[in-house]
Amino acid sequence: MRNWFMANRSQLGLTGLVLGVFLLFVVMTLSVTPAAAAPQSQGDQPTDETCLACHQEAGMTAPIGGQPLPLTIDPEKFSASVHGTENIACVDCHTNITGFPHPEVTASSPRDFSLEMYPTCQKCHTEQYEKVLDSVHQTALAAGNTNAAVCTDCHNPHTQTRLTDKNTGELLLGARLAVPQTCAKCHSTIYETYRQSVHGAALTEEGNQYVPTCIDCHGVHNIGDPTSNSFRNSTPYLCATCHTNETLMKQYGISTNVLSTYVADFHGTTVKMFEENYPDQPTNKPVCTDCHGVHDIMRPDNPEAGIAFKKNLLVKCQQCHPDATTASFTDSWMSHYEPSPQVFPLVYFVNLFYKIFIPTVLGGMILFVLTDIYRRFVVRRAQVKGVSHE
Amino acid sequence: MSETVTRTYERFPLARRIEHLIMLLSFTTLALTGLPQKFPSSNLSIAFVYVLGGIENLRAIHHFAAVVMMLGTAWHILVFGYLGYVRRTRLTMLPTLQDMKDGWQALMYNIGRAKAPPQMGRYTFEEKMEYWAFAWGAIIMGVTGFMMWNPLSTTKFLPGEVIPAAKAAHGGEALLAVLAIIIWHMYGVHIKRFNKAMFTGKISEEEMLHEHPLELADIKAGMADRPVDSATLRKRQRIYLPIAAVLALFMLLGVYGFVNAESTALTTIERQVPTVVVFVPQTPTPAPTQTPTLPATETPLPIPSPTGAQPTADSTPSTPAVASALTWDNSIGALFQAKCTACHGAGALGGLNLSTYADAMKGGASGPVIVPGDGANSLLVTRQQAGGHPGQLTPEEIAEVIEWIDAGALEK
Repeated sequence: MRNWFMANRSQLGLTGLVLGVFLLFVVMTLSVTPAAAAPQSQGDQPTDETCLACHQEAGMTAPIGGQPLPLTIDPEKFSASVHGTENIACVDCHTNITGFPHPEVTASSPRDFSLEMYPTCQKCHTEQYEKVLDSVHQTALAAGNTNAAVCTDCHNPHTQTRLTDKNTGELLLGARLAVPQTCAKCHSTIYETYRQSVHGAALTEEGNQYVPTCIDCHGVHNIGDPTSNSFRNSTPYLCATCHTNETLMKQYGISTNVLSTYVADFHGTTVKMFEENYPDQPTNKPVCTDCHGVHDIMRPDNPEAGIAFKKNLLVKCQQCHPDATTASFTDSWMSHYEPSPQVFPLVYFVNLFYKIFIPTVLGGMILFVLTDIYRRFVVRRAQVKGVSHE
Repeated sequence: MSETVTRTYERFPLARRIEHLIMLLSFTTLALTGLPQKFPSSNLSIAFVYVLGGIENLRAIHHFAAVVMMLGTAWHILVFGYLGYVRRTRLTMLPTLQDMKDGWQALMYNIGRAKAPPQMGRYTFEEKMEYWAFAWGAIIMGVTGFMMWNPLSTTKFLPGEVIPAAKAAHGGEALLAVLAIIIWHMYGVHIKRFNKAMFTGKISEEEMLHEHPLELADIKAGMADRPVDSATLRKRQRIYLPIAAVLALFMLLGVYGFVNAESTALTTIERQVPTVVVFVPQTPTPAPTQTPTLPATETPLPIPSPTGAQPTADSTPSTPAVASALTWDNSIGALFQAKCTACHGAGALGGLNLSTYADAMKGGASGPVIVPGDGANSLLVTRQQAGGHPGQLTPEEIAEVIEWIDAGALEK
């Protein structure tokens, strides 16, 4: 038996291989066959056409708690929306609708109806939905503020067009233009302030898509509490994401050393070392926004209130240094300049002096110490020789 | 012979050694708490700041050590005055031309260009260099430190630019001082030979012979001390002590002013937190459906009739073939109200409003839906009989509607 096995070993191996490949093929075929096709509405569920038969009618409303809930869907807008183009059916979200009459509405108001409906979004948008759970909006909602934005307040599910590239997931350029207006639905006064800022004006008037919109600073979905200490303490790094980017800043001729010059100075040094150790603790040392503004960020050379002008900057200084009364105090801060023979020459020449003075002095010291070591070595060797000769 | 070897001389009295210790401790503290501020981005700095409990603590320690060093310097000035005026000791620390010659000779000797090392007195050129470098450093650090500590006061008299310039000089000088201490001081008194004189106060005769032969010669010749008779001493003390007291007062006031000239630059006031009204909606919270805008009747019902038989408006109402008890008021109106008016109510989907008898008889965009006397050909019935209409009537209900229409579709 053993001999036969040894003699036919190679043939057995081949047979085994063929059998194995066949079994693998069978298994793969079986595992592929089950239906993984696109979700289709069940036979007893109404199609979009059925729904629209009624719901495209203009002016349809149903009273909930005495307030009208608008029921009209614009078929054109819906089919142009991302849900329309991706063939999401009405009943994919409105899962409780199986025909007419519709089930009793339990919500107490149209707002309440939205709040009941929005968790549906997580079926497909799990990632975004979970991010929202950490957001300031969700915190407010959980605290009982029903005005707090939910998914559908920013993204009308019946009209929302595609915002991100389907493959890369990156925000489409055109989508950025609409962001501030979306936030403005609830934060209209902040929007007005932003619109007049250097960033907001560029976006809303020139259509510049490279300036920050709301979400670039506040985040999207997981929008954090902007009044928190950690948000304030990390502001310099937030601004630096764009303001240290050569490619971006080149277009405006803006310096990219704003962060390094900030960190090199009193305020920045303090904030940097403080932030590293206690990111959650409050500090009264200024970050970018304390001088440049929050939503009302202006060009420094704005003739009205630009902080390139000493009288305007002094006002900013006085927020923390009320005893600062002389305009020359403002020069204590180098306004993000690197000292040069033209700008802050005194600082430049002091630095230059030490750049030469330190190596000269230390070099001389090192040189002398080295010769001393050499002499000691020579003397010791001579002594040892002297001893061995005796 | 052995007696001369073991003989020791007093090099530094206790007061000088305490001075040295104070300077040693304050200098080290200043260096350790200052350099992290010069290199704030280094992880080592950040870790050190963390160990000291934060940047504010670190600065407080730095300022405390600075005050200690200033007081130590003030004391040193008073002692210098006492020794110079009252005791009239030889001013052995003053740099002379001979020091330069000694330095040159030492260098030449080291590289083998001179036969012998220089013969030096109480303080060698190395020691004098370090002393005066420290004095120079103390002045620079004191002046620039004052400017940074009191920028508001400083900029009342000087341009604002001196503050960052002071910072640059403070940092540069600090780096120079620390590295010079490491290279020059460490080598000179710790590595070359561990010189314990600053701690024990004593120096052996052999060490004196090697390092301070001229002083040793002076001591042996009795020229090192200049004894003062007690009467003269007392006289000079009477003159010096009031002057020293006034000087001390001024220096103490100076240190006090240094520390307390102003407060807002360093401590600053509590941050004024700007307040913003956050929720200012443009409209009531946006709804995920369009707010109604179009007039109710403009959109035609797109569903084609399944039968193709369109009853027309001019269809002649036939006489009721069957008598029926059913009327709009007693049953049909309520039926339509329950099943149809969600769409064909006030919203009048497809132009059809079934909430009142008059509107129902008018029909919709496709024409009349109720042809009195002809239930089977009324659009309402044919649409319902095809099935699948939203708000589908049951067969029994359809039968009732047919019966009602056939009987003339009466209101009452």
